[in-house]
Amino acid sequence: MDFDAYFQLIGFGPKGWGALLLQAAAMTLAVSASAFAASLVFGTLGAWAKLSGVRAAAVASETYTTVLRGIPDLLVIYLFYFGGSSVMTAIGHMMGHEGFLGLNGFTVGTLAVGVVAGAYQTEALRGAFLSIPKGELEAARAVGMGRLLMLRRIIAPRTLRFALPSMGNVWQQVLKESALVSVTGLAELMRQMHVAAGSTRMPFDFYITGFLIYLALTTLSGFGFRAAEVHTMRPERRS
Amino acid sequence: MSDTEAVSLTGLHKRFGANEVLKGVSLRAHTGEVIAVIGASGSGKSTLLRCIPLLEIPEAGEIAIGGETIRMRAAGKGRVPADAAQVNRLRSNLGFVFQSFNLWAHMTVLQNVIEAPVHVQGRPKAEAIAEAEALLEKVGMADKRDAYPAHLSGGQQQRAAIARALAMRPRALLFDEPTSALDPELVSEVLRVIRALAAEGRTMLIVTHEMAFAADVASRAIFLHDGRIEEEGPPAQVFSDPQTERCRQFVMRHLNR
Amino acid sequence: MDTVFLAETMGKLLAGLPLTIELAIISISAGAVLATILALFRATSPIAEAIVRGYVFTLRGTPLLLQIFLIYYGLGQFAEVRHSILWPFLRQPYWCAILALTINTSAYGSEIIRGGLQSVPAGAIEAGRAAGMSRLLLTRRIVLPIAIRQALPAYGNEMIAMVKATSLASIVTLMEVSGIAYAIISETYRAIEVFLCAGAIYLTLNFLLTRGLAVLERWLNPHLVQSRT
Repeated sequence: MDFDAYFQLIGFGPKGWGALLLQAAAMTLAVSASAFAASLVFGTLGAWAKLSGVRAAAVASETYTTVLRGIPDLLVIYLFYFGGSSVMTAIGHMMGHEGFLGLNGFTVGTLAVGVVAGAYQTEALRGAFLSIPKGELEAARAVGMGRLLMLRRIIAPRTLRFALPSMGNVWQQVLKESALVSVTGLAELMRQMHVAAGSTRMPFDFYITGFLIYLALTTLSGFGFRAAEVHTMRPERRS
Repeated sequence: MSDTEAVSLTGLHKRFGANEVLKGVSLRAHTGEVIAVIGASGSGKSTLLRCIPLLEIPEAGEIAIGGETIRMRAAGKGRVPADAAQVNRLRSNLGFVFQSFNLWAHMTVLQNVIEAPVHVQGRPKAEAIAEAEALLEKVGMADKRDAYPAHLSGGQQQRAAIARALAMRPRALLFDEPTSALDPELVSEVLRVIRALAAEGRTMLIVTHEMAFAADVASRAIFLHDGRIEEEGPPAQVFSDPQTERCRQFVMRHLNR
Repeated sequence: MDTVFLAETMGKLLAGLPLTIELAIISISAGAVLATILALFRATSPIAEAIVRGYVFTLRGTPLLLQIFLIYYGLGQFAEVRHSILWPFLRQPYWCAILALTINTSAYGSEIIRGGLQSVPAGAIEAGRAAGMSRLLLTRRIVLPIAIRQALPAYGNEMIAMVKATSLASIVTLMEVSGIAYAIISETYRAIEVFLCAGAIYLTLNFLLTRGLAVLERWLNPHLVQSRT
């Protein structure tokens, strides 16, 4: 491998792809963060439904997690990308708009990856809630806390702490799954690598670069989650 | 209805499935009284105590805190509180001390103590902290105010939990077997604190297995058997000269251990 | 709902099922063998451990799609590869997909099997040694059977992940179930119906896999099955 040529190719010079790759990496992080936030919303709803004691809600949530953990993520992305577009177009027609309306890649990525990760998040949050010692909840009731106050002061902080390790795994998963959003044409890392590889006819150079960038992203954010875990679990650990 | 009636229970019935644990228990605790509730395990004494702040909901009977009756309404097969806000308000007038401490693990000792005064009772934080510090001093935990529960011994956790209960400025303190989960060498430090509180004239209901302590600290003793009050009276009578055969056997077995 | 279209779509999708199953079975089996070798190799020396750790770390830290592209598009950049005897395989998306899936699952699998190996009680190994078993015999008769039983539930999840992952082969032109689904959607724009059909196929596949694993688990652990008295 000719390293001079390689660094020119991925560098920031006039013929380099560096700036574009950096932008693409930022887009990967942005769509991942957005999908992760969505997964927290879906996961919270899912966990709440499973724990609510309302049978219909529990069945709906169970179906949600079973289905989304059992079918390929790629299909979910197609569903949101193409299905979302037909729904949008139909709504557009109803409101008097002629022609085709599409969901953009970022929205599709956020919703599709978010809804899949939400299924895993549901289990993470449910498990975390169940590991709160029952006595601590009882103590909260005994001092006269209402439901909302108890949720805010005791349940939410305790659940988050217990769920943090699993949430770290979900984040890693989201970061990797975000590569699939490239099928919508969103200019994230995977897509940009593919474009660069095609136009320069140097696919290996670009894919191995992408490989290293993803590795850096997963590793660094892994450290981040580890640090957060150590920080928040400090009260729990015996010295 | 009297101002001196801190807790009043009338005709409580409670069942778990087919098992009827309380079969009509009535009890009045006047202000300043220290009531020891004794009885074999399964006699219903913990359930009785847990009914007072509605940690268990009795199927029948009435609970009043400081003369105010908790309103209930029928729901499905049982009952639920008619007014959740009333329950929470009355709960914050009681201090409950659990067998297993139940400190909130994500908060320091001080944060545990000021949590309810600040967030349930809405008192100013600075005032709550000042009061909490005095209470921690009283239970001998001042130097541990910034420690997390996981770093404390069982005896220290229970003393912190007592401070947490006191911080509510409760009308009555309820102790549910406060020393049962402790290693033997840690029991005395907790009993010492409870004894000091009794000497202050606080209203207390104590469910306990520590017979000698109960005899010493209580102004009235109640012997519960099979969901009913079998015997009740001054400790001198209940512990030294029980009127019923069952109470006599129970006391014999436990005092001579 | 248009049942004729659904039935028609189902028929077309099912034509891709054999390829989906083939990809899954080959990569799961080859991946499991490779995973076992990696897990055993890892325990042999500190250097071996470092190598396997690096392998697992890089493969778990990057998207599978990128791994497929690196093999399918990337390797062809080098004349040496294009002129090697492997080229007839590496130029075909089928073998590239299988290679990438196998390597990917072997990384996750080796960690699961390592967990299983660590759970083998020291006493069981000692007892084997005391009975005069050689290292190889001990591994084959005692260590692996215990480790695999321990690892099976977690490995089941990995297998399900692999069944789902075969769908990525469609991005390098293979017409398995997801590839056909994509083709029908881009032709008809009826994403919801096609999704329902394709989703049902994958769910059924994973359901059968889960049941099969449950049976296997019971068969491997007769001592854990409650005897009826």
